[in-house]
Amino acid sequence: MKNPFRKDLESRSRPEACTVVIFGATGDLTHRKLIPALYNLQVEGALPAGVKIIGFARRDKSDQEFRLGLKEVNQKVSRSGHDDSIWEDYAENIHYHQSEFQDASGYARLSERLDEIDRERGGSGHRLFYIASAPEYFDDILANIKEAGINHNKKGFWSRVIVEKPFGTNLPTAKHLNKVVSKTFRERDTYRIDHYLGKETAQNIMVLRFANAIFEPLWNNRCIEQIQITCSENLGMEGGRGGYYDSSGAMRDMVQNHLLQLLSLVAMEPPTDLSADGVRDEKVKVLRSLRQWDTPELVAENVVRAQYVAGHVDGENVVGYRDEDRVDPESMTESYVALRVLVDTWRWSGVPFYVRMGKQLPKKATEISIHFKEPPTVLFNALSGGVPGGNVLVMRIQPDEGISLRMVSKIPGSSLRMEPVKMDFHYATSFGKGSPEAYERLLLDSMAGDATLFARRDEVEEAWKFIDHIHHAWHQSKETPVMSEYVAGTWGPKEADDLLGENGHKWRRL
Amino acid sequence: MTDYTDNDYALALGKEVAIADVDKELHLLWEEDKASTNASLVNLAVYSERNGAIIKNSEYVQIITREHACRALLIGVDRDNPEASIRAWITAHCHLSHGRKSVCCEQVAFQLTGRSTGRLRNTVFSHLSSDLPLVFWWQGELSSLFSERLYSLIDRFIFDSSEWSNPMEAYACVSEAMQSEQSLLPMDIEWTRSSQIRMAIAGLFDDPMAVNALEHVSDLKVVVHPEHRMAGLQLLAWVIQRTGWKRSSELSLDSDHGDVYYYETAEGSSLVAQVVTDPLSAPVGKMEFIAPGLELRVTRDTGSPYIRQELHAGEHRFERCTPSNSDDSAELVMNQLSRGGNNSLYCAMMPEFLGLLCDSQCY
Repeated sequence: MKNPFRKDLESRSRPEACTVVIFGATGDLTHRKLIPALYNLQVEGALPAGVKIIGFARRDKSDQEFRLGLKEVNQKVSRSGHDDSIWEDYAENIHYHQSEFQDASGYARLSERLDEIDRERGGSGHRLFYIASAPEYFDDILANIKEAGINHNKKGFWSRVIVEKPFGTNLPTAKHLNKVVSKTFRERDTYRIDHYLGKETAQNIMVLRFANAIFEPLWNNRCIEQIQITCSENLGMEGGRGGYYDSSGAMRDMVQNHLLQLLSLVAMEPPTDLSADGVRDEKVKVLRSLRQWDTPELVAENVVRAQYVAGHVDGENVVGYRDEDRVDPESMTESYVALRVLVDTWRWSGVPFYVRMGKQLPKKATEISIHFKEPPTVLFNALSGGVPGGNVLVMRIQPDEGISLRMVSKIPGSSLRMEPVKMDFHYATSFGKGSPEAYERLLLDSMAGDATLFARRDEVEEAWKFIDHIHHAWHQSKETPVMSEYVAGTWGPKEADDLLGENGHKWRRL
Repeated sequence: MTDYTDNDYALALGKEVAIADVDKELHLLWEEDKASTNASLVNLAVYSERNGAIIKNSEYVQIITREHACRALLIGVDRDNPEASIRAWITAHCHLSHGRKSVCCEQVAFQLTGRSTGRLRNTVFSHLSSDLPLVFWWQGELSSLFSERLYSLIDRFIFDSSEWSNPMEAYACVSEAMQSEQSLLPMDIEWTRSSQIRMAIAGLFDDPMAVNALEHVSDLKVVVHPEHRMAGLQLLAWVIQRTGWKRSSELSLDSDHGDVYYYETAEGSSLVAQVVTDPLSAPVGKMEFIAPGLELRVTRDTGSPYIRQELHAGEHRFERCTPSNSDDSAELVMNQLSRGGNNSLYCAMMPEFLGLLCDSQCY
């Protein structure tokens, strides 16, 4: 029987009570993101009653020690603050399960524990496995889940898996991982998390495009000159990130997943409905339509990679990339990448999408800017200065989430002079209430069986296919494209400016 | 009745301005402070016929604008005063947005005396921000000013049915307005008072044991404060509407047990539903379902910021705290504004609720 009281109570799919098993429970992601996200859902009354959390990790800990560590971090990072009364109730449902990831007996014990929780519930229950461990353990964890038989549940109850990025490091490894996952879980029960898609402004891209009549008629190559997607970070390799980053780089760490996901939301056709597959079908068509830069020459023409050298960021001296902690002094890993992407569809033919991501840039910002074509200026040609630039629609993903539209206006006065002006919408100004953290939304969606904001297998593989050609040119071709340099605290190398300059375009000043 | 001085009004409402100069003075207000951002997503009109209410309402708007940027119009009306007059004050409510920029919302307060229907529409509503929806919060009893000329302008109509002395008559007025203006969306603060209780009940019935026991419930009890009997009846109506339980005989009123109703579930089980008033209760203090082998309960102590969910079924026990609704009217209005939507649950519950209300009033 279905719960009749849920109907119309909330305008979202209904999350169902389940046992959440987190692999890698002693890690940073669990402490700083997952547990606070679930806590905040509890604070807002959005977490289904009866949710249990089992942290699975190698270190020896008691439930109490585990809870205490989580509490200490939650007190510091929780979006809604920390309330001891709510935490005590919440923490009662958190347990620790010690086991090596490779130890099959640990999974057998986990299975018994899950059965015990189900019995306490008076029957069976849903299960959500969250793989938040280091990627090298993904295979072992998935194989052992299958071996223990906890990947399948009793009739009427689901078992789902959330897999954290990186989802592979190239197309073959992504395919391998997909194969391993698909041996253990059905595709419909697999949730590949990309937390960018859980951000309020990323979700708003579809609303902006399809709930407003004024944009979609202009959303094509007749009216749009170019599109820029920028993700800039004003941090380097702090906190020991150098080791991971040096094996990954800007392209794999950010472009393959987050930025290509944003690009596909901007470029996709209207979906037939808002179902998970309705939206993802359209997104994957965009990824399939990306023109492949499959020779070193094409990569050299369309992609710029660079590393920062010593400079200043936010008034502080910073070292160059190769001098960072845990980074190879002869590293050929890019801390900056800029690329021209062409989407070969009827709608986007001839419109370049410029994507850039960099570390140690002047400020932290992620945004998408749509640069419209300039109007025929015959009326104003005779004026000194002419018309100052075209319209630009900017979607700011983070921080200061919002939307702005640049347009041209007459300067007050007796003469006809024009200046660009900006109409600006800030989420924080208009909606005083803070947006939920991306993980809150995504965890609820996975409990509700809504995979719209998660990447599907074919999306991941198509994205890797595009990225792999570039990586191959960089690391395996005879004539590898150059590694440029930029001074930390600047907006990237000159070559990235030249990339746009060839088409008469410029990077938007953030 | 408290007599408020001009100083009281000025302290609460800002600068008094001539009616004809309201817009001009608002512009001046912004010119004086270049560091602030003027924001508004809705027009929020707060109407009251209580003496001095606009002073309290200015405090409410200060709270509401923390989360909902709006152009606020405070309207105080003294209809018993024989002399027709209108005064206006302007101010801005400012809040630091995420610790950085100052975001401000304009407020225009009007105090009208005498017969004011025409002036309300022609003078007051000429100061709405164009293109933004009008949310109209009517405080207290509905009066003859709530007419087609007024509600034809309103997008969302907020009221508190717990303030009405004759709810049947007042609901009839609102229903008539909704039929006349299809786009008018009613939002009852009394219904919002129970929103977290409803969330908590729905959450407990996510449990398979609870939902399987629903058709075997033998007792259902709602405990409310005497001032919030409407909330109790609404909760009962919501349950009946959602479950499809059928009334099996007439209401019985018992001073010890409040309103008592008899129902049959789809499986033919009989159950007794009570709406009990208790002067010591929180506005909505308890909702309890009893079935063979199962007790499910949501409780809130007076003034507590939490509600307690409890589910006991033999060995299977579940208890936790979740946040409760605030008792403050401004916070409840904020809650309503946050939810948006078309209030479909409220509209779906209304026929059942009006039936219960009619029975309890006609008995």
